[in-house]
Amino acid sequence: MAIVRGCNLPDELFYHVDSNVWARRETDGTITVGMTSYACALAGQLVAATPKKAGKEIEQNKTLCTVESGKWVGPVKAPVSGELIEINDAVSNKPGLVNEDPYGLGWMAKMKPSRWEAEIGSLVSGADVAAVFEAKMNADGFGGC
Amino acid sequence: MKNTWRVIDTGLRRAADNIALNRALLEARQADEAPSTLRFLRFTPSALLGFHQSAEQELNLDYCRDQGVAIQRRLTGGGAIYFDDTQLGWELYLHRQDLRCADMQAITRRICDAAARGIQALGVDARFRPRNDIEVDGRKISGTGGAFDGDALMYQGTLLIQFDVEKMLRVLRIPAEKLSDKAIASARERVANLADLLGYVPTLDRVQAKLTAAFAEEFGVVFAPGKLSAIEQTRFEAALVEIDTDDWVHMLHRPQSAMAMLEAAHKFPGGLVRVSIAYDSEMQRIKQLWFSGDFFVSPRRTIADLEAQLRDTDAALLKRHVEGFFAARTVDMLGLRPEDFIGVIEAALAQRAVVV
Repeated sequence: MAIVRGCNLPDELFYHVDSNVWARRETDGTITVGMTSYACALAGQLVAATPKKAGKEIEQNKTLCTVESGKWVGPVKAPVSGELIEINDAVSNKPGLVNEDPYGLGWMAKMKPSRWEAEIGSLVSGADVAAVFEAKMNADGFGGC
Repeated sequence: MKNTWRVIDTGLRRAADNIALNRALLEARQADEAPSTLRFLRFTPSALLGFHQSAEQELNLDYCRDQGVAIQRRLTGGGAIYFDDTQLGWELYLHRQDLRCADMQAITRRICDAAARGIQALGVDARFRPRNDIEVDGRKISGTGGAFDGDALMYQGTLLIQFDVEKMLRVLRIPAEKLSDKAIASARERVANLADLLGYVPTLDRVQAKLTAAFAEEFGVVFAPGKLSAIEQTRFEAALVEIDTDDWVHMLHRPQSAMAMLEAAHKFPGGLVRVSIAYDSEMQRIKQLWFSGDFFVSPRRTIADLEAQLRDTDAALLKRHVEGFFAARTVDMLGLRPEDFIGVIEAALAQRAVVV
C-alpha cells in the first residue's frame, strides 16, 4: 500500500501514470480498471459517467469512459489495449461511487487485454508507485488528497 | 520575454460550427499544432445541452423547432443554456504547462477570477461565484465550463450583454408556472446584462480588449491576433462531420419522467419559504432549485448563492451542503434558520416516491 500526499495508491495494482488510471490483473486474464484516488482528487465529485459500449475494442490511451465533475468533462483512458467486456452500471447510475471507493465499488470497466505482455512495460507497479506519483504530483502542483 | 498566445475571433456562427471548432482547437492544442489561444465567438439562436444531458429532458423541443432555435451538444459539462447574438462567448485553449496545476476547481477559480477582472475593467463589480459562475451583486453575468483531453484543456464562458431571459425560459423545459409574468420578472432579477449595468451597449471590440488584457495579465503573456491554421481548418471539417448530426445531438436519450419537478412550501417563524426542484430520480441528484416566498435575508444575494451552491448535488449530501454554506458566511435572516431551508427542500424531495 502506497500513500502519496494522502492519496491511497495500492502498490499491487498496475498504473498508467499519464492517464492516472489503474488496472488489476484478474486470475482469468481479464483486467479491472478505474480512476486513481489522485485522479478523483483532481476532478472533485463526479456527477456523470458515460462509458463506451461493452464489446468495443479500445487502444491503449484511448477513451473508455467520459466523466464530468464541476462542469469539467474529460476522458478516462484505457491503461492497455483490449476489448471492453463489462462496464460498471453502478457507476453510471451513481458516479460518486468512484470518489468514495475508487479501487473497489467504483471500478469503471473490465477489459480483455490484447497486448498485455507488450504493454505492461508502460505501466508502473510495486515499489516504483510512490516515487512516480510523487513526481507527477509535484509537476501538477498538487497539495494532497 | 513573455510568451505569445493567440487571440482569434471566429465571429457569428451556427452552433454546430462553434462546437466543431471547440473539438478542432482542443485537438490541435493537444497535438501541439497550435499555440495557447483565446477565442471569442458568437452564436445564431441555439439551445446548447451540457455534454451529459438529453434534449428531451432539458429543452422545450416544440418551441425550439417553431422558433428556429438550433439544438447542439457542448463538449463541456453543466446545464442547458440558450445562446444567441446578445451574448459573447470566450474560450481559452491551454496546455497543462501553462497552468502548472491539475486541480480542476483551482483552474476554474483562476480563469474565472481573471475573466471577472476583465469584466470589472468595463466598469461593473464582477466576481467569481463558486462553483462556475461570474456574478455582479448576486446576479449571474457569465456561466462557464471546461473540457480536457490529455495535456490540453478548453475552458469556456458566456458573457451576457443584452440577453433576453424570457427567451431562455421558453427554450428550456421548466414548469409552466415559471413562465408567469412574476416568475419571469424574478428570473430577470437573477441575471445581469452588461448593457443594463453600464447604461449603454459596449462595443464587442471594447469587451474583447478588456477580457484579453485580463487574461494576458493573469498568465503573464501577450496576445497576438491570429486566425485558424490550415490544420485546424481540416480538423474542424472532420469534427463537423460527426457533430453536425442528430446522432451527436441526441447521443444521450433519457426519458422526461426521470427528471421530476418537485415543489414544497412551508411557513416558518421567519417567513414563508417555497422551493421548486428539478430532481434527477435516476441519479438521485438535485439538478437545480429555486427559492421564492416571503422572507427576509441579508445580504440579498445569499439566496442566489445558495441556489448556485446546491446546483447538481447529491440529494443524500443536502444537509451537509446547506450547513456548510451557512457556516461559511454571516447572514441576517430575521428568525429564519439554515435548517428551515433543509426542511423545505426535504419536504419537496419527500414527494419523490409519489412522482417517480
